[in-house]
Parts: sequence; C-alpha cells; structure tokens
Amino acid sequence: MSELIRLENISKSFEDTNVLNNINLTINENEFVTLLGPSGCGKTTTLRIIGGFVQPDSGRVYFDGKDITDLPPNKRNVNTVFQNYALFPHMTVGENIAFGLRVSGKPEQYIKDKIKYALNLVNLNGFENRRIDRMSGGQQQRIAMARAIVNEPRVLLLDEPLGALDLKLRQEMQYELVRLKNELGITFIYVTHDQEEALTMSDTVVVMNNGLIQQMGTPEEIYNEPENAFVADFIGDSNILSGRMVRDKLVNINGVDFPCIDGSDNGFLPGREVDVVIRPEDIDIVPPGQGILNGTIISKLFIGVHYEMLVKSETGSGFEWLLQNYDSYDVGEKIGMYVKPENIQIMHKPKSEAEQAIELDL
Amino acid sequence: MKKAFSSIYMVIMMLFLYLPIVTLVVLSFNESKSMAKFTRFSLKWYEEMLGSRMIMSAIKNTFTIAILAALIATIIGTLAVIGLDAMTVRSQNILLGFNNIPMLNADIVTGIALMLSFLLFGVSLGYKTILFSHITFCIPYVILSVRPRMNKYTDTLFEAALDLGASRGYAFRKIIMPELWPGITSGFLLSFTMSVDDFIITHFTRGAGINTISTLIYSQVKVGIRPSLFALSTVIFAVALIVLLVVNILPGRRAKRAALEV
Repeated sequence: MSELIRLENISKSFEDTNVLNNINLTINENEFVTLLGPSGCGKTTTLRIIGGFVQPDSGRVYFDGKDITDLPPNKRNVNTVFQNYALFPHMTVGENIAFGLRVSGKPEQYIKDKIKYALNLVNLNGFENRRIDRMSGGQQQRIAMARAIVNEPRVLLLDEPLGALDLKLRQEMQYELVRLKNELGITFIYVTHDQEEALTMSDTVVVMNNGLIQQMGTPEEIYNEPENAFVADFIGDSNILSGRMVRDKLVNINGVDFPCIDGSDNGFLPGREVDVVIRPEDIDIVPPGQGILNGTIISKLFIGVHYEMLVKSETGSGFEWLLQNYDSYDVGEKIGMYVKPENIQIMHKPKSEAEQAIELDL
Repeated sequence: MKKAFSSIYMVIMMLFLYLPIVTLVVLSFNESKSMAKFTRFSLKWYEEMLGSRMIMSAIKNTFTIAILAALIATIIGTLAVIGLDAMTVRSQNILLGFNNIPMLNADIVTGIALMLSFLLFGVSLGYKTILFSHITFCIPYVILSVRPRMNKYTDTLFEAALDLGASRGYAFRKIIMPELWPGITSGFLLSFTMSVDDFIITHFTRGAGINTISTLIYSQVKVGIRPSLFALSTVIFAVALIVLLVVNILPGRRAKRAALEV
C-alpha cells in the first residue's frame, strides 16, 4: 500500500476555538480510514480540509506527493458524500448523477452508460427519471454515493453519511459501503461519531478529540489496546481505573494486586501511576473467594445478548465494576471476579492537555 | 342547527367583505351620475374612462413604475442576499435589522423624508422620483422573500457542485439560481403589488402634473368623483381577480399532472 494523502502539521481555528492542533496523518491507497470522535473533535474539519472546503491556518496537504493545499475543491480528484446528501432538488436522479460528468464535458452516450452503471452499483436500477423528493432517505443516500463515484475519484470522502438513517438501514448500508469500496478499489475516508460503525467497516481507525489525534490503528488495536483513557472510554464500554505498578507484571488497583502482562519493557516502571482499562466482558464471574476480588451485584440489566451488571467491590474504595455476562445473577448476590492478565490494559496517565496526543510516526 | 348557524355566519362575513365592491361594480354600470339610484345599464363610463387622457396616463404611470420598480428592486435585493450570505452571522443580523426598519416605518414618514431628500439635493419631483422611491421601499421586501431561500442547505449544494468539478459561476447558475427562483418571483410580485398599491409615498414624491391611479382618485375626490373612476376601479378589481384565479388554479393543475406522471 502506497501513501496517497498526507496531512502535515495541520492547524485550524475558527474565531477563538482551536479546532485542529498540529495534525499529522497519512492515508494509504485503497484504505478504508475512519475519523472517529465526539462532536467538535475536529474530524469533519479534517475531512473538509482534504476536500478543499476549508483552508488550514498552517500546514500542508499532499495528494499523491503533490502539494494541493491551495487547490480549490473543483480541481481535486476527490469526491464527497455529504451528511445531508446535498442532492440537487430540482434535478432528477439521473441528472444529479450526470452533473459531474456534464461539467467535465463527457459525451452523452458515455454519461448514459455511466448513470446505468452507477445506479446498478447502488442497487437502484431504473430510477433515472425519478424526482429526488420522491426518494426515501436510504435511496437518497445511495444516489449521493452514485453521484460521487461516477467521477472515478481516487478518494471518496464520506461525512457521517449514515447519520440520518434508522438502525436497520444503517447496518445494511455498512455492508454496502464495504462492498462498494472493495468493488471500486479506491480510498474511503469516513467521518463518524459512531464507534460501532468505525469498528465494523474500517481498515484503520483514527480516534480524535480536542483537535488532536488520540490513537490510530486497526479496529482490533483500538479496541484491545487503547493508548489512553479517552480512547478506552470512547470505544465501547469499559472500566477505567487509576493504578500503580507494584513491579513488573503486577499492578495495584484500589488496594488489590492484579497480575498483568506489562512492565518495564513497555516503560511501566515499578511505582509508576498508570490508567488501567478492563473491558466488562473480560471480567469472569467465579464463586466468592476464588477470584482476585469479591463484590456484590447492585444492579442488573438485560440488554439483548447478555446481562449488564454493576458490582460493588468489597475491598478498596468500593469501586462499581461494569460486568457483561451471558449468565444471570441476582441483585445482592455475592460473587468473585477474575481477570486474565492479558485482558488488563495498562496505559500511561496523560501528564498535560498537550500530551494527550500521542506522537505518530510518519 | 349548528351547521345552519355557521353558514349564516359565513354569508354575513362575505357580505361585509364583498358588498362594497359589488356596489362599486354595479354603480360603474349605472347610466346616471347618481350614487344613490340605479337608473339603467350603460357602458358610457367605461367609454369616458378609455377616452380620458388623464386616466389613461395614470394607468400607464402606475404600471410602468410598478414593473420597473419591481424589476430593479428585485435585482438589487437578490444581489444583496447573495452578498449577505458571505458575511459573518453578526454583520448579517445587523444588516437585516436595518432592512426591517423601512418596513415598520410609517409610510408618511418615509414619504416626507424622501421628498425632503429630493428637494435637498435639487432633484425636481416627477416620474423619476416616484420610481426611485418605489425602488427604495421595495428592496426590503425582496430581501425578506429571497433571504430564506439562501441558507445552510444552499451553501452545501454549492459545495457539492464545486466538489463535482463545477466552477463557482457554473455552480451558481445551475444550482443556486434554481433554488432562489421561487423567492425572486415572490419578491418581484410583492414589490409589484406594493408599488401599485402605494398612495402616501407617491403622493409626497410625485410633483405636479403627474398621477398614478391612487393619486388621481384622491385628487378627483376633492373636485367631485366621476363614475368613470368606478369603471377604472372595477377594471383593476377584475384584473386582480383574474390574476388570482390563474395563479391559484395553474399550480394545482401542474401538481396534478406531476402526480399522474409518477
């Protein structure tokens, strides 16, 4: 995979708010990259800088090795699927899809074939002459996709394209998007605040917060090895606690020692204060006294596949643990809890605001 | 019982609204000059109206001023909306506030103020000053009707067009203009009717020897109104009625046809 887009030291502020703080990001050819973060984290601004709709205050944007920072959007070989689709309401479906091709002066027969091809690709055969306002939200979403991809861009930018759809349709479209990406063989840059969407579709997830990149990696890396408390908290449910390294491969959390797999090899020296994340599904329930610590179940919720329980620990400060288990336990029941060493994720504590960002090697 | 009561109520309402106009129409066909007694059906007041240079020039003035003022105000107002769109929200709000003042201001104040300004700058009152005044008071209405069509959604459409390779000019012509059209047309029609309707501002800015329909009728009232003006009013009412019917029936038909096509 070769590099296609590179953002170098990008900063941007609107009025007095710093939206992006010195972002460095490399996106490879044929990659499905998701920019993930809460609203206001700078993900959409990053996308708009790549699209050419926003000029960065400082930093450069490279596309295929060439500096495109000052190039207007209509000169860039990228196309966008907008959040509200931005379909042209006074044109038919076919005319919408043909817009980009007509602008670039393609012959009519070619345009006709392309519309057919694109509609086929998004499963909307024969809808050429429909009016836009006669199409449902899901159909409009597909038309927006078709309109963007007929221009054969090297990169497709998608700004929360599934945000307006209901859950069922959203899950269907997630599969469609991945299929489309594989069929077209182009790069997708996808913006969302939905962590499930990000984990399902992406090759690479870029977690952003406060205008900084928090972590970049495969969905598995992001989920299993979050680099800081923000990422752990944002991606899925988790128990995030403060701890202290006792020695190599042993961490003390709230007065209880947990065996783990990290140590001075990873820079976690004995005595160092750390953040610890334990996923709720990684806590095994065992008979009381046979685990690492005991606790009492204080609430239970059935959420479909499994039960979600809050367990108040007996030792330490009475931390309430979030547990997920397929078996049901009664509220008030005493249980033991055990966590496998490899399921304890040790993280450096952020020292200051600026250090919340991790250095990404380009 | 309830139904009968509500229909009687409707009839009374309609009578209040339309009886005066019916009276006017009836009297315009009266042979005698009397406003109290209908003697015989006659078209002689219509003949007098068509023969009167004064009435004919007032009609001409009214409609040429209305069309020109509406056209020019629509162009200026639309350009203003496009300009506003590029400004910060703060300056937009300030300017739109200023835009609302002339509409809330009493016509008589606007009229006198315009007259004084013309005199101050040595512009002699006449056709041109009426036209100029009408353009002035129409612009805020155009801005008010075009402005809502230019919003965040239109901005995104513009971006989408650029994203698909269109130049800024092409995107504006092909994508933004069709979005603005309904606002532009209604701004034009609103200006046109405001201009035809206006009496007070015209009265103060017209100068001697030039009349629009409204100032003509006003000046005739002083010397004794002639039934030929009833004829004129009837014609104006008939035209307005026909326009209204056409405007209301045509879109309905078109929508029906569109519904059948799908």
